Amino acid sequence: MPPDMHRRSALLAATVTACTLLAWSGRPIAAAELSVTVHAPDGSAISGAVVAVEPAQPAAKPRTAARASMDQRELKFVPNVLIVRTGTAVDFPNSDQVRHQVYSFSAPKPFQLSLYAGRAHPPVVFDRPGLITLGCNIHDRMIGYIYVTDSPWFGATGRDGSLRLRELPAGDYTVRVWHPRLAEVSAQLAQRVTLGNGAAVSSFRLARPLRPAMRSGGAEKSWEDY
Amino acid sequence: MGRLLSRLAGMAAALCLAHAAPAHDFDLSIDLRAVSVSGQPSYLHGGGGKLRFDDEHEGLQLGSLRAGYRGDLTDTLRLTAEAFAWGDGDVNALDLTELFLTWRPVPTSRWRSETKLGAFYPAISLEHRMRGWRTPYSLSASAVNTWIGEEIRTIGLEYNLDWLGQLGNSPFSVGVTAAAYGWNDPAGIILALRGWSLHDRQTTLFGRVGEWRRGIVDGRTLFYDDIDGRAGYYAGLNVNYSGALEIRALHYDNRGNPAAPAPAIDDNAWKTEFNSVGVRWTPDERWTLIWQRLQGRTEVGAQLPPNRWLFDTEFLLASFNYSRHRLTARYDDFRVNQAVSYFGSLNRDRGHAVTVAYGFRFNEHWSAMAESLLIDSMLRSRRWIGAPQQATERQLQVALRFEL
Repeated sequence: MPPDMHRRSALLAATVTACTLLAWSGRPIAAAELSVTVHAPDGSAISGAVVAVEPAQPAAKPRTAARASMDQRELKFVPNVLIVRTGTAVDFPNSDQVRHQVYSFSAPKPFQLSLYAGRAHPPVVFDRPGLITLGCNIHDRMIGYIYVTDSPWFGATGRDGSLRLRELPAGDYTVRVWHPRLAEVSAQLAQRVTLGNGAAVSSFRLARPLRPAMRSGGAEKSWEDY
Repeated sequence: MGRLLSRLAGMAAALCLAHAAPAHDFDLSIDLRAVSVSGQPSYLHGGGGKLRFDDEHEGLQLGSLRAGYRGDLTDTLRLTAEAFAWGDGDVNALDLTELFLTWRPVPTSRWRSETKLGAFYPAISLEHRMRGWRTPYSLSASAVNTWIGEEIRTIGLEYNLDWLGQLGNSPFSVGVTAAAYGWNDPAGIILALRGWSLHDRQTTLFGRVGEWRRGIVDGRTLFYDDIDGRAGYYAGLNVNYSGALEIRALHYDNRGNPAAPAPAIDDNAWKTEFNSVGVRWTPDERWTLIWQRLQGRTEVGAQLPPNRWLFDTEFLLASFNYSRHRLTARYDDFRVNQAVSYFGSLNRDRGHAVTVAYGFRFNEHWSAMAESLLIDSMLRSRRWIGAPQQATERQLQVALRFEL
């Protein structure tokens, strides 16, 4: 895994913890802690898997709209996968010297940002849960994802293939796992868990190995394929 | 006042930041060569040699001077222009190689369409990946792609329909392409007379190849000319798997009428058709492997059957990229067999070539590349100019390149 992925996972984990604390500050601290692990069929850890833990009773909506950023650097979406809570306003700054034309035709949020550089567009509000795939109409190799969830408990697995979520109130939950390179037959992996006061573990083992990562085809960023 | 000025300055800076990348984008490339050659005089200078340079054109040479332009006319309409100077006394010192409009609406589903209008290259070469249709792997292109640069240009309309599976949950993206074009009736003449070659010189839109009425390729032909008024077509398919594998196939037919004369160049239209297939595989980010094959025929002449040549070529290229270094090796195999001739003597070209190139990137502006090219060939048409049919030609080049 490249070092920036580690950073990204750490960042996501930190965001999750912060979100959790923010959502539950001032309330009685619940005891449940949930560890979600994701492994390949051969037992190796899967990092960067999206985990969203959805309560059976819908969670309280946040008081203020969250803000997040999907950067474009060296012809890549950074982070490659952004996980946000429903209602989050996402900025799409272009940090490259070339212009990008970001679009999505995914059902939860179809949109397009006309050809731009820098910070030309206001943020896009992701108001429906689901998976949004991002493309750039100038650079077909640029593909990114925004995973929008109603739940305040989400994150991405780290190097060890696990994500630990703390201070979940007791109750019933659905744990959903997703990864951009998932090759499973079913589009989504889900498990139901009931949390009491102790620690619980939700383990996922994929039926199929992840698809190989998208490659640049050996291209350097200054190239322009014919 | 000071506060107002600083606020204005801040607003101006924000405005500049928002438009840091211009809608009009010019760029420039300079390629200077030190060349050492042993072989026959080049076909460009009245000889039967297959190389771009020869004994009289070696030492310090201009590889190319290139100017490129990309202009976003609207959100989805882009104008591309490419101009080259080759420094070898062509009709125009600087001339266009490509000039086209691309209309690419933002997709609203996995299907995306793109329309191109103007003069451009059909998507055949898997080597040419740099602006200006240049190859990053070596100085001289493979035989097949050298020929595309010499004689094949779409001057017309191309439509592409892509299925962007990679934006869904699929590792595949698939595209089809179809084009109708004119101004390509002389295509095939160089292949029929001189056979295959390996170099980087693209025929410009208003340029000629060879010296006026000298040698095998005699500079009479204006390549992008329409003699018979019949449009040609091509249709192709491309598949991409996970960015790591690119497969292209194309059928090309210029639908030339071999009986249609063009008195200005004392020639008829050439009917050229071929099938082309290629695979580029990048097993990891360092290695690139390319294989391409092209097979076809060209015909000219009012009598039946017309003069006919069958041609085919293929190459295998392996390139290794590490940090600032790139090392490439390529093997080319090629042949032309004339099947019908009014004059009894059948031309023939049979040969192979080995290319080894090493490139080093100093920074984003400066790079250097050294290339050794060996072409071993038997070309019957060399008899016409009293040269030996068999030739083993060697060319060593070192290029210093500047990109702005």
